[in-house]
Amino acid sequence: MIELSVNNKTYHAQEGSLLIDLLIKENIHIPYFCYHEALGADGNCRMCMVSIQGQKRPQIACDTIVKEGMVVDTQNESIKKIRTDILELELINHPVDCPICDQAGECSLQDFYMEYGLHNSQVSIEEKVKHAKKIDLGSDVMLDQERCVLCARCTRFTEKITKTHELGIIGRGDEAKVSTFPGRKLDNPYAMNVVDLCPVGALTSKDFRFSQRVWFLQTSDSVCHGCAKGCSIYVDHNKLKYKDDVIYRFRPRRNDAVNGFFMCDEGRLSYKDLQENRQERTVLNSQDIDEEKAIENVKNLIQTHKTSIAVIIDANLYTEEIEAIVSFSNSIGANVYSPLSVYIDEGFEDDMLKSSNRAANFKSIENLGIDTSFPKAERLFINFNHPHNFSAESQVNFLTHKRNNSGLTFPLASFVESAGTLMNEDGIEQRCEKILFKNNAVPTVLEYLKRIES
Amino acid sequence: MRDCRLVSQKFEIENSYTLEVAKAHGGYKSLEKLDQLSPKQCVEIIKESGLRGKGGGGASAGDKWSLMPQDSTKPSFLVVNCDESEPGTFKDRQIISKDPHLLIEGILLTSYAIQAKHAYIYIRGEYKQFQDILQNAIDEAYDAGLLQNCDITIHRGAGAYICGEKSALLESMEGKRGHPRLKPKQKECEWYFGNPTLVNNVETIASVPYIIENGAQAYRRFGTDESPGTMLFAMSGHIEKPGVYESEFGVSMLEYIHHFGGGIKNGKKLKAVIPGGASTDVLTADEVAKATLDYETLRNMGSALGTGGMIVMDEDVSMVEALKNLLEFYHEESCGQCTPCREGTGWSDKLVEKLLRKEATKDDINKLLEVADTMNGKTICVFAPAVSTVIQSFVKKFRDEFEMKL
Repeated sequence: MIELSVNNKTYHAQEGSLLIDLLIKENIHIPYFCYHEALGADGNCRMCMVSIQGQKRPQIACDTIVKEGMVVDTQNESIKKIRTDILELELINHPVDCPICDQAGECSLQDFYMEYGLHNSQVSIEEKVKHAKKIDLGSDVMLDQERCVLCARCTRFTEKITKTHELGIIGRGDEAKVSTFPGRKLDNPYAMNVVDLCPVGALTSKDFRFSQRVWFLQTSDSVCHGCAKGCSIYVDHNKLKYKDDVIYRFRPRRNDAVNGFFMCDEGRLSYKDLQENRQERTVLNSQDIDEEKAIENVKNLIQTHKTSIAVIIDANLYTEEIEAIVSFSNSIGANVYSPLSVYIDEGFEDDMLKSSNRAANFKSIENLGIDTSFPKAERLFINFNHPHNFSAESQVNFLTHKRNNSGLTFPLASFVESAGTLMNEDGIEQRCEKILFKNNAVPTVLEYLKRIES
Repeated sequence: MRDCRLVSQKFEIENSYTLEVAKAHGGYKSLEKLDQLSPKQCVEIIKESGLRGKGGGGASAGDKWSLMPQDSTKPSFLVVNCDESEPGTFKDRQIISKDPHLLIEGILLTSYAIQAKHAYIYIRGEYKQFQDILQNAIDEAYDAGLLQNCDITIHRGAGAYICGEKSALLESMEGKRGHPRLKPKQKECEWYFGNPTLVNNVETIASVPYIIENGAQAYRRFGTDESPGTMLFAMSGHIEKPGVYESEFGVSMLEYIHHFGGGIKNGKKLKAVIPGGASTDVLTADEVAKATLDYETLRNMGSALGTGGMIVMDEDVSMVEALKNLLEFYHEESCGQCTPCREGTGWSDKLVEKLLRKEATKDDINKLLEVADTMNGKTICVFAPAVSTVIQSFVKKFRDEFEMKL
């Protein structure tokens, strides 16, 4: 560790580390577009200028390695003036179309302008360089070349992270722009991460754009349930008065132990599943049935088939829920299963984040020693949202989504409507809070068990 | 003026580009010296000679060579920079078209000194006809068995000015977009695919045979103490006999212009000279009278010797139009990597255009200077700082002309 001073305060940093990493970590304000911890320094935006004692010229923090005794100033007047001047250049050819831009509200350019700019535009619209504003790059990513600040984060992402090289910069000087190569599309399973990486409104998600102003969104932490990796995510949702809370997007949440900065596109778009085709009513053989009566029916069925009951658990449920189901099953003398083979999807796996095991909490099933084979024939099957459709003489299902099945079916809360813990395939535990509060709340596993056991 | 032709000695000889003629006039003789010299000694001789890089920067060539590891486990490379794109500069093409074997000889000596087994010549795409001459010379050298210890490959550029910047040149050679690299944290050699590499200008390499053959002191007989030797200075613009003429360092600029160039065209008065390719500060006629052709004097005058390609302008030239001409070039050629350069070159071009349209106000001239200031010292490479000082020198030295356009 070495010691250095920033704005007259002493800090410690790892030898050989970048100054900008220290500034970010210590929450010392520093504007930047091109630097990204996952992509490294590129040094093109020139916004992160700082004064370093003994250096004639201002230096960019992203390309400065910390040194013992270094004296850094990030906020003197000359540095502020430089940032203002560079920002002005950044804006002269920018369309300033914030009112119709999806990034407004979470745009670095906008934030820095409020901080360092606040000047009037000296370049008229006619004089600005014109580029294409609506290019469908593929993979649900839209490009507006005029808004781009050429930070090259997106091109570096396809170069260094996915190594698919779809994006590049073409043209020189103020005619430079991001583009795909002729005849090629942006086409990789992680493509939509460029939308998060883009500090401005140049790259937007076709799925999300124009659906919500970001300042209306509430952001909550959760974990993706798409596979056993369990990527940390932000869930952006909005509840309008009198209406139900609606999720508008998932975004990756930085977690160095699990997913780093990114997530796959399939996981990102999986928020839609939580709002489509949901089991909403309690039914008996497709006919509506009163919930109280249905619970009584369950109790009776358990009594009737006492010696021949199998309980099947979805490996996507929270650990607390699984444990509760196991103890409930023990109390009624039922065998517990969670068939594994249903979750295995070899085609989904890759060497980045995607796991071939599509069950988010399978590790807990394993830890609890639950049988992962298919259940033996029994007279009563109680299925807690396991994706396979089982058939038995009598069936009770607790399902988040509608399916073709017979017997008694109860609607079940999805993972954002419930709380609990998940353990990913590497044994890392993550806690998820209840995020979505519906007007007509769907009961959770724990709530159902309480009622059946009472 | 002392006649000194160290690099241009064979330029006037008929068919000097052929191996036969080159050899008849002393070509490849310096190679014999290598029997008595170790690679390290070669580097020392170049260091002693004070040879300076002729591509524009003027740094000590010997110091640069010393940065090459002598015991590298990776292969070392020599890259000869022939991306001659600086406006007003056309000396390297004289070497490769008039005496390509001198360059090959220099490459063999340099490769020996830095222990490179492969040399590349990065040539600008527009130099196709000169490239053909050079390629023929290389083929002749292969046939004559001269290239047994070192291969030479010509790599053709695709027409970007910035690829003359050594790190952008290497990026381009690696098949990437020609963007200058971030500067290393300490003094080190260049890297081509992660291998130690020396990048030198054509004229620098072509100066090596004379030094190896005649010794460092022989080279130091020419020029000044700090700028030893000679350079292929060039003149273009309003001059009676534009062209490339070799001279030693330290001679009077005006004397050079009159001696070799025959004075200003049509007997007009001299107004200004851009001394070393477009990217150096313009000098007024008064300054030209005091200037000598060496790195130190011109640096002390606030300009630079650069590539030694002088752009001479007579009394009829509009300095606003001249600046516009240069800015159009920079606007077109900025690689677009760093914000100040990408946007600053375009904006300053547009501001001067506004002046020419007589639509500008005094604020626009001040804005032009402000944009120039933002471009100075805040980018990865020296492109933007060069544009910055060009703008500042034009506006400051000829302010009245700019204000007349208001």
